[in-house]
Amino acid sequence: MATAPLAGPMLGFPAFRPLYKKFPISGPLSSSFISLPRTLTSLPPFRRSLLHCQRHRCRHLTVRADSDNGAEPTRHYDFDLFTIGAGSGGVRASRFAANFGARVAVCELPFSTISSETTGGFGGTCVLRGCVPKKLLVYASKYSHEFDESLGFGWKYEAEPQHDWSTLMANKNAELQRLTGIYKNILTNANVTLIEGRGKIVDPHTVEVDGKLYSARHILVSVGGRPFIPPIPGSEYAIDSDAALDLPSKPEKIAIIGGGYIALEFAGIFNGLKSEVHVFIRQKKVLRGFDEEIRDFVAEQMSLRGIEFHTEETPQAILKSADGSLSLKTNKGTVEGLSHVMFATGRRPNTKNLGLEKVGLKLTNGGAVEVDEYSRTSVPSIWAVGDVTDRLNLTPVALMEGGALAKTLFQNQPTKPDYRAVPSAVFSQPPIGSVGLTEEQATKEYGNIDVFTANFRPLKATLSGLPDRVFLKLIACAKTNKVLGLHMCGEDSPEIVQGFAVAIKAGLTKVDFDATVGIHPTSAEELVTMRTPTRKIRMGPPSEGTADHEAKAAAGV
Amino acid sequence: MSRKMLIDGELSDTNGEEANYDFDLFVIGAGSGGVRAARFSANFGAKVGICELPFHPISSEVVGGVGGTCVIRGCVPKKILVYAASFGGEIEDARNYGWEVPENADFNWRKLLQKKTAEIIRLNGVYKRLLSNAGVKLYEGEGQVVGPHEVQVTQLDGTKLSYTAKYILIATGSRAHRLTIPGQELAITSDEALSLEELPKRVVVLGGGYIAVEFASIWRGMGATVDLFFRKELPLRGFDDEMRAVVARNLEGRGINMHPRTNLKELIKTEDGIKVLTDHGEEFLTDVVLFATGRAPNTKRLNLEAVGVELDKVGAVKVDEYSCTNLPSIWAIGDVTNRMNLTPVALMEGTCFAKTVFGGSPSKPDYDNVPSAVFSIPPLSVVGLSEEQAIQQANGDILVFTSTFKPMKNTVSGRQEKTIMKLLVDAETDKVIGASMCGPDAPEIMQGIAVALKCGATKAQFDSTVGIHPSAAEEFVTMRTETGRVSVSSRKTNL
Repeated sequence: MATAPLAGPMLGFPAFRPLYKKFPISGPLSSSFISLPRTLTSLPPFRRSLLHCQRHRCRHLTVRADSDNGAEPTRHYDFDLFTIGAGSGGVRASRFAANFGARVAVCELPFSTISSETTGGFGGTCVLRGCVPKKLLVYASKYSHEFDESLGFGWKYEAEPQHDWSTLMANKNAELQRLTGIYKNILTNANVTLIEGRGKIVDPHTVEVDGKLYSARHILVSVGGRPFIPPIPGSEYAIDSDAALDLPSKPEKIAIIGGGYIALEFAGIFNGLKSEVHVFIRQKKVLRGFDEEIRDFVAEQMSLRGIEFHTEETPQAILKSADGSLSLKTNKGTVEGLSHVMFATGRRPNTKNLGLEKVGLKLTNGGAVEVDEYSRTSVPSIWAVGDVTDRLNLTPVALMEGGALAKTLFQNQPTKPDYRAVPSAVFSQPPIGSVGLTEEQATKEYGNIDVFTANFRPLKATLSGLPDRVFLKLIACAKTNKVLGLHMCGEDSPEIVQGFAVAIKAGLTKVDFDATVGIHPTSAEELVTMRTPTRKIRMGPPSEGTADHEAKAAAGV
Repeated sequence: MSRKMLIDGELSDTNGEEANYDFDLFVIGAGSGGVRAARFSANFGAKVGICELPFHPISSEVVGGVGGTCVIRGCVPKKILVYAASFGGEIEDARNYGWEVPENADFNWRKLLQKKTAEIIRLNGVYKRLLSNAGVKLYEGEGQVVGPHEVQVTQLDGTKLSYTAKYILIATGSRAHRLTIPGQELAITSDEALSLEELPKRVVVLGGGYIAVEFASIWRGMGATVDLFFRKELPLRGFDDEMRAVVARNLEGRGINMHPRTNLKELIKTEDGIKVLTDHGEEFLTDVVLFATGRAPNTKRLNLEAVGVELDKVGAVKVDEYSCTNLPSIWAIGDVTNRMNLTPVALMEGTCFAKTVFGGSPSKPDYDNVPSAVFSIPPLSVVGLSEEQAIQQANGDILVFTSTFKPMKNTVSGRQEKTIMKLLVDAETDKVIGASMCGPDAPEIMQGIAVALKCGATKAQFDSTVGIHPSAAEEFVTMRTETGRVSVSSRKTNL
């Protein structure tokens, strides 16, 4: 904001000067000016970037005038972009937009490890209540397995290593504080105006934060999602993943309800830290939507590490007894003596109390913001990225959406996020990495596929004596030889799958995989040494039909 | 090997004529390459015999074992020791994650050794079974080439067996090479290092190659004092210079004493251990001196020169692109040919040999974009060109993308060690021509990257791949801005 008066004349946009004089709202401008001395100190680079962007800017201004669907091209706005929510998607879109020369503000709720209507924090779910703290707890909890492994390699401990929960929480929270600071710095260094408070949409070009109004040419809704706890009797005694990442003490005995990735990750964490863990899933198997064999394999490996799965068991009520312990009543019975009950039963988009209904913005049945392929909502000046749109709820996807949006809006490069072959990981213990189609999806879409699998005991386990195994699966199209999917469960899977995701995204064939020399001795080398298909699935129509099918599948994948 | 010999009809013709051979193929040496070639040839219908020396963890002229260097004295036991040694660092790292580990966590070398040997014996058995299941006849003893179609196997009891074969394959590998300095007999090689009776408290490692840095990491991780001596400024000659510097820094950070540009002059036995004299006039007292000063091909006792098989200066068997020696009936693969001494390359050469000679499809091993790893702690892994190679080989500008970061695990553990990743891109074609990484899990991460490089993936294709979060590997697909550009004219990095 502070730079607006400088930027206007410097750029010499005729539209800017007169409008600068009739700023509709002056209060918030001066206040954000004062609260952000940093924008002044960083003037030189900003000036440079403005000059650099001048050419682009002229271009996209014209484009915008054409494409703004009724927005007044001559009206002046406080900001080119106002972002509500500074999580992965919002920060990415804001930074990139600012780098492209746009004037950007972003608002976010005050920092707290547990999110609510009034708390959040720069960095968002991923940094404060998701990927990062989760992975730190995974690291912490993995050590117990590593101690067990080390015994097989000649290590011995006088006493069994004990875990101190409070040390972990303190060190984890110090790291989160550091990261939320980094995110703030990233934004201010990109000359994005930070506003702390709850943003609400007042009209298609106005956002209110704590009573102050800001006008913006474009508004980005990137408020993410929050855990959802189903309303059963006693659900007030339960915790969600936010709380589970920041408990005052370690659970002695915990029931985790849910069979998705969050449930499995927490089951691994608490099991590794020596809690008694029970997982309750409605279905027969964990991880709906994943490859069937992976689903079976991961559940078996987790059971071997001591986690008890209660399948087809639905919670009905949580009871608190006099000694403070909890009981979980299900359709099959009651588990008593629980210190904690955790719901990992999905997440819901944060679309309440945002003023979305006021501007007539369309939501899906699940409460997510409905967007087109460019992340545009039903209101042309309002856009949305990340979990709030409930497309593919992954941090790197939100980053992709945010980056694509900044290009679309401020670089004159309409860009659609590309959802093909997006890899993902489950940081269960052992973890899962996967990219592309599952066997079930591939069979349905292609009919004729070759499936290569390997299920082996890794070198480390032969010495440790632990029952750890690795499962790998490659799915190739029988006709084109293209690798359609890769799924892996076992140590280092997420790290291993990333490089293969590049290969799959590039459309490489099984022959290309085979032509690559292995790195020995690794687990990953198995993926380039799968010579014989485990099974060939032939369900597709005969040749002329296959061609049709192929074309359709190629377009749809 | 001329192509026309491989035409189906003619091959069977020749078979018909020369059906009096005992074997279609006789392989000398049952290591990675030999076993692969033998099995695959047998699968193509060839009658195959193979000979190997009796099993022993420490190799010599008269002992070896089915499985070869990789399984018995290389990759496998080495990696087992690396696993064991890594726990030392893990225990340190665990503390800031809230684990109270007794200060004097104890490491029992003998127990590890016993289990390692048991595992190797198991694998030795697995390899034997692989051969017998494929219908390959295994002979225990020392093989020699007697003529272009004849081998002799000297068995343990001294009896000699003679066999004729249409083709002979030399796959005898290599052995650690010793430096000739006074007192050299006091030093050990990697063979013995993998089977020491006692865990040394003080170790001197001589060499700057991957074996040297791996053993330095192993012993350091197990608690020994380690001094590493090497001739150059940095270890790992041939690797990317930036990576070499990072490896050196990490080794030092883990407590290894680095002695660059230093040679050993003499070893003297004393009551308190081995006294080591350097060419800088320094003296060190140590329990063990490891020579990791290269390996030499095992060709001495094969009688190759007598039958006219050409060797190169270092004694490696000279072969053409299909692995055929100057005699059309004698072929050679693996370390004995000293091309690219890696297990998976020997496997590739073995497969290509079988396809060429018995599968009816002439196949040349392809040495482009072969990935490799150094299992130092933390490890290094590379595929494609180093920056220095790229500068030498490229015709146009090269873009250099590097990312140096603190791995997430270290943010809490407090370990001051950074991971570095690098991509080299041909500015004109956008093709990624080199990738390297030093940091935890690098070898596992690099395998998939190698598939992409092998098939000519572009930087744009890397960029279009979505990351896996949070992982270290995702950095490879999120390197947006180049850190340097090497232009054709200047040939210098504008860093």
